[in-house]
Amino acid sequence: MGRAERSGANTLFFASMPILAFLLLPSLIIIPMALTKGQLIQFPPQGLSLHSFADYLSDPQWVHSTVLSFQVSAFAVVLGCVAGSAAAIGLHGRHFRGKGVVTGALLVPIIIPLVVLALGEYLLFARLRMVGSWVAIGLVHSVLVTPYVFISVQTSLTAGLNPALVRSARSLGAHWPNVLRHIYWPAIRPGVLSGAVLGFAVSFDEVVVAFFLQGPGTVTLPVRMFTAIQFELTPKIAASASLFILLATLSLVAQGLLAFRRGVR
Amino acid sequence: MDAPGELDLLHPRTSGRQLDVHRVWKAYAPGTYVVRDVTFTLHPGEFLTLLGPSGSGKTSTLMMVAGFEQPTEGEIRVDGKDVVDLPPERRNFGVVFQGYALFPHMSVLENVEFSLRMRRVRGATRHLRAMEMLDRVGLAGFAARRPRELSGGQQQRVALARALVFEPDALLLDEPLGALDRRLREQLQTEIKEIQRRVGISVLFVTHDQDEAMTMSDRIAVMRDGEIVQIGSPPEIYLHPGTAFVASFLGETNLLPVTLAGVENGQAVVRFHGDVLGRARLPRGATPPAPGDAGLVSLRPERIRFLETTQLAEQVTDGVLTGHTFLGRHARSVVRSLGQSLVVSSTDVVPTSQTAPGAKVRLGWNFDDAQLLAGGSAADGSERQDRTSKGGA
Repeated sequence: MGRAERSGANTLFFASMPILAFLLLPSLIIIPMALTKGQLIQFPPQGLSLHSFADYLSDPQWVHSTVLSFQVSAFAVVLGCVAGSAAAIGLHGRHFRGKGVVTGALLVPIIIPLVVLALGEYLLFARLRMVGSWVAIGLVHSVLVTPYVFISVQTSLTAGLNPALVRSARSLGAHWPNVLRHIYWPAIRPGVLSGAVLGFAVSFDEVVVAFFLQGPGTVTLPVRMFTAIQFELTPKIAASASLFILLATLSLVAQGLLAFRRGVR
Repeated sequence: MDAPGELDLLHPRTSGRQLDVHRVWKAYAPGTYVVRDVTFTLHPGEFLTLLGPSGSGKTSTLMMVAGFEQPTEGEIRVDGKDVVDLPPERRNFGVVFQGYALFPHMSVLENVEFSLRMRRVRGATRHLRAMEMLDRVGLAGFAARRPRELSGGQQQRVALARALVFEPDALLLDEPLGALDRRLREQLQTEIKEIQRRVGISVLFVTHDQDEAMTMSDRIAVMRDGEIVQIGSPPEIYLHPGTAFVASFLGETNLLPVTLAGVENGQAVVRFHGDVLGRARLPRGATPPAPGDAGLVSLRPERIRFLETTQLAEQVTDGVLTGHTFLGRHARSVVRSLGQSLVVSSTDVVPTSQTAPGAKVRLGWNFDDAQLLAGGSAADGSERQDRTSKGGA
């Protein structure tokens, strides 16, 4: 039986390797491409050089886009965390007619096609004369981040917060800011953190909304890459893409560490 | 200054204020009341229990006192001041919840300090008061532990210390022993009572367990369908139940259908089954039933005695033994008499001639042991009786 099991595991291993390769290689291939000596993005890379990274970091437009992307995502994550956590806390332990509808409405941004959302927001912000403002992009991104934070905070609330704790704190004289700080915050902290990491990833590489709402001074990094790939084919694209891979890896490691620490405690 | 933790039996302190629950109603949906016209007073230092089956409105009543629920109608007064409009954090009650609801991410000391922190008591004073309270409940050595590192009994003492440290107007306990096994429950009951006596605080206690209510309370308010059906000291409620519900909810009882023949010397003259004449105590505080009315008499199994042939009693009846079980502390017999099955509980050793099924026996009791019930409509009574006889089978 042991042998049959092992051979089954082997078969599974060999069957899944190509799938894993198919999923990972296109991403990883970016890194050697970024290390090319040439002036075009191509595979296999010609020679080995860091010049595309230097080009990327010395091009004010690309640097501006990178900074902008961080700015937009940070703004979206902060707003999304506040909104998502508030919604999860507000709905926690409460039962009322229409609760399902409210929960559904909160999750709509995940389900609705991005193009539809982008178009709608474009029409709205055009009327408000805010197209081309990074705040507009950040606001729409926060709508996208909110459901992720909502789900993870809701999960940590149902798993880790007995509603009697809230009542207990209130009976001991805690007004709501103190209840929030001493009871809710310790319980939702892991949920907020993992929701924030996920939300940051969603916002940072979001193209469709950022494309619709872009202005001359507000081209986010993914939009710049998308534009560049059509017209320039510069290896800066590969260099900046490596940044994405680095970020994604870092956030995965961070989440892993968080989960590990929680497991240890 | 007293040494903390010292027990002064001669001069028990009383703290706390008078709590008045006055004509309180509660409906979650229009027209369906879960609490109906509940009125009681919790005196300073008193231990009052709301006792009733689930759905009787006892927890809703407690939650309204604590401020987590809003009465639909009525007043809740502390020393005469209506607190209905105050949120829980601005009332001054120590609440102990089922399962204790200790803050898991705080140490024992931080749990106890919490209420003082919320009241902006400064560091050193706060620490001192919390440690003093922990010392009182015998947990000074556990201050740095997390709640989950403590046993169930220790957790309860932390919950009590946490609810007492800010000198609340009263302690509200919502079935704190609900989920525990019997042995631990009994131990914790004495512990709660002990701490209450030491601190002298008034307690409003909610439970569905009649033994718990009997052991701990100064007074018991029996609740049913949102109403208080009877309120009084444990002996009063047990020996002189007002209704068939109270009689069978607190312990076991025999319910005997009677017809009222009249009132004589403050006692009811009744006719049992088969026109057997007898007497019973009149219900207290209720309008006495009119002659000719049908009613119910409650007779506790332990008040009925087996009589030797020469022995006499105020009330005597013959019967046939149909069952006998020896239970150690007492023996439980079922006797067919007065047209029904009577349960008799006796601590005396019953002669073996009287324990064989079919044996002819004589039963006797005092007139005062039979309690005529108020509002014991025949329908209500027979329903209760079914339950009792089912329990007895």
